Amino acid sequence: KSMQTRQTDPSHTPTAPTSSAQLNTKPSQPISPPLSVSPAADPAVISPQDPTLLIGSSLVATCTLSPDFPLKAEDLYWTLNGRRLPAASYAALGPSTLSVALARLNGSRQQSGDNLVCHSRDGGILAGSCLYVGLPPEKPVNITCWSKNMKDLTCKWAPGTEGETFLHTNYTLKYKRRWYGQDNTCQEYHTAGTYSCHIPKDLALFTPYEIWVEASNRLGVAVSDVVMLDILDVVTTDPPSDVHVSRVGDLEDQLSVRWSSPPALKDFLFQAKYQIQYRVEDSSEWKVVDDVGNQTSCRLAGLRPGTVYFVQVRCNPFSIYGSKKAGIWSDWSNPTAASTPRSERVAGGCDPKGGEQNTTLRRELKQFFGWVKKHAYGCSNLGIKLYDQWRVWLQKSHKTRNQVGKEP
Amino acid sequence: SPTGDSWGIFTFLCAALCNLPALPALNCSEELGAGQSIQQTYDLTRYLEHQLRTLAGTYLNYLGPPFNEPDFNPPRLVRAEPRVPSATVDLDLWRGLTDNARLAANYRAYSRLLCYLRLLDGQVGTAELRHRLAHFCASLQGLVLSIGGVMSSLGYPLPAGPAAPPAGPPGAPAAPNDFLKKMDDFWLLKELQTWLWRSAKDFNRLKKKVPPAVVTLRLEARGF
Repeated sequence: KSMQTRQTDPSHTPTAPTSSAQLNTKPSQPISPPLSVSPAADPAVISPQDPTLLIGSSLVATCTLSPDFPLKAEDLYWTLNGRRLPAASYAALGPSTLSVALARLNGSRQQSGDNLVCHSRDGGILAGSCLYVGLPPEKPVNITCWSKNMKDLTCKWAPGTEGETFLHTNYTLKYKRRWYGQDNTCQEYHTAGTYSCHIPKDLALFTPYEIWVEASNRLGVAVSDVVMLDILDVVTTDPPSDVHVSRVGDLEDQLSVRWSSPPALKDFLFQAKYQIQYRVEDSSEWKVVDDVGNQTSCRLAGLRPGTVYFVQVRCNPFSIYGSKKAGIWSDWSNPTAASTPRSERVAGGCDPKGGEQNTTLRRELKQFFGWVKKHAYGCSNLGIKLYDQWRVWLQKSHKTRNQVGKEP
Repeated sequence: SPTGDSWGIFTFLCAALCNLPALPALNCSEELGAGQSIQQTYDLTRYLEHQLRTLAGTYLNYLGPPFNEPDFNPPRLVRAEPRVPSATVDLDLWRGLTDNARLAANYRAYSRLLCYLRLLDGQVGTAELRHRLAHFCASLQGLVLSIGGVMSSLGYPLPAGPAAPPAGPPGAPAAPNDFLKKMDDFWLLKELQTWLWRSAKDFNRLKKKVPPAVVTLRLEARGF
């Protein structure tokens, strides 16, 4: 069998020899599954070894047995990605060489390359070759960049249309100052998604930069169009911090929002303008308040009483170093929640006058139990019925307690 | 400036600490004795075994068939320098290992395995694969430190040589072509799996030899 240990002829051994004697003295009782060992010399050689091909091309590969191997060409067969190739595509080119013809290849099944393997009749692997079949890369597109607080630059892009090249594609973001200097290469990738890069420092202000992305794979290179920008044109900042939303006294239809300006504001010669958005708890429609200006507080009016609202604030640096241009809006701050007060006259307050009166609470509990039923498979006892029963019991015990005259 | 000096001292201390071989003494369970550390190390090998199953599945899918087929068992080409330390050992030899030798074998093996794992092509593959690989390497590093901790608490010196080997030996053992590299990667994962099976047995054996003093301590802690 092809996997037995054999004496090897040193002149045919590409790697330093490990003699069979050493292998034979290997211990006889392993405590784990035994490994099958094969001679130090490669039993066969495939040509071409690890080729790169365009989709649709054809290939003739050959498997040549090592001279001291007892097999012949007719003892061999081929597989591609584990699937046996039809014998009709084989041809014996000599006593110890078998070829296979592959026509109109599809893109590689995996980016690590298709596995073309030459086997001996009993299934043993004699040699293998990785086929890289694909397309050259497309030009990357849609390069957008932004600078956080004028300190750095982050850019993102999209791969060219089509996308799938079947080959691993490397992206390199490059940049240089417009009229001088050499090309620089961005080093920190994937900071804002797969196709992104971050330049942390050594950026000059008041000067245009040329930025582009190079995509390369085994079949070629594609360069995006050059984007020209000045760092000051793409400035954004962190969202405002410490967003507080609170009631305005007893007013049912108002909430007051306060926040701190982002810390970077103090360091630079820019002003900030803000925007607020808010929504009711169970709606996905945001209402935007645009005319907040550069204040760090605002009052929302015309709200619904007794409702929970989610509020977010974001910031835009403008008038950077005196220019009239606005920057890029920051991300929204984390949502802050608050509720408007509800007038006492609405029926159903805190006294359990009857199960049906406290509709909001009951409805919420119904939703909660529904959720619990869905997620806590075993708790079939819970339910709105149980809650109602408890309420009934509460009323009865309330009456009883009053009759008996117990102290609170 | 005074703040400058304290930063300087702090940085120097960090550098000094980082250059020491694996610091086992940082494991505060040392006070509870070797017994606790051995149990923890055992648990860690089981956890790694579990993690490896997912990692290997993902990586072998990346290599593509036949590497990800369940019955795949290719010939193993023996090369000049055994690329990966083998867990396979004669049964009688294994039984007769001293505690020190047993622990040292584990320590050396995982240090080497970690080094080779880090070489697994981190450039290619999906982000998910790179992530899993990084996570696994971090856990494996934890295992190496844990074994070091057990050795120190039992008073054994750590095996000579770098605790965390640098980016592997260049050139010589590198696979001559991409297909052979895939085979190497396959065998690396297999050997890792075998070592984790073996380590569970090793640490089980060590658990039974915990000194009585430590056992008393644990009983007291449970309020007996």
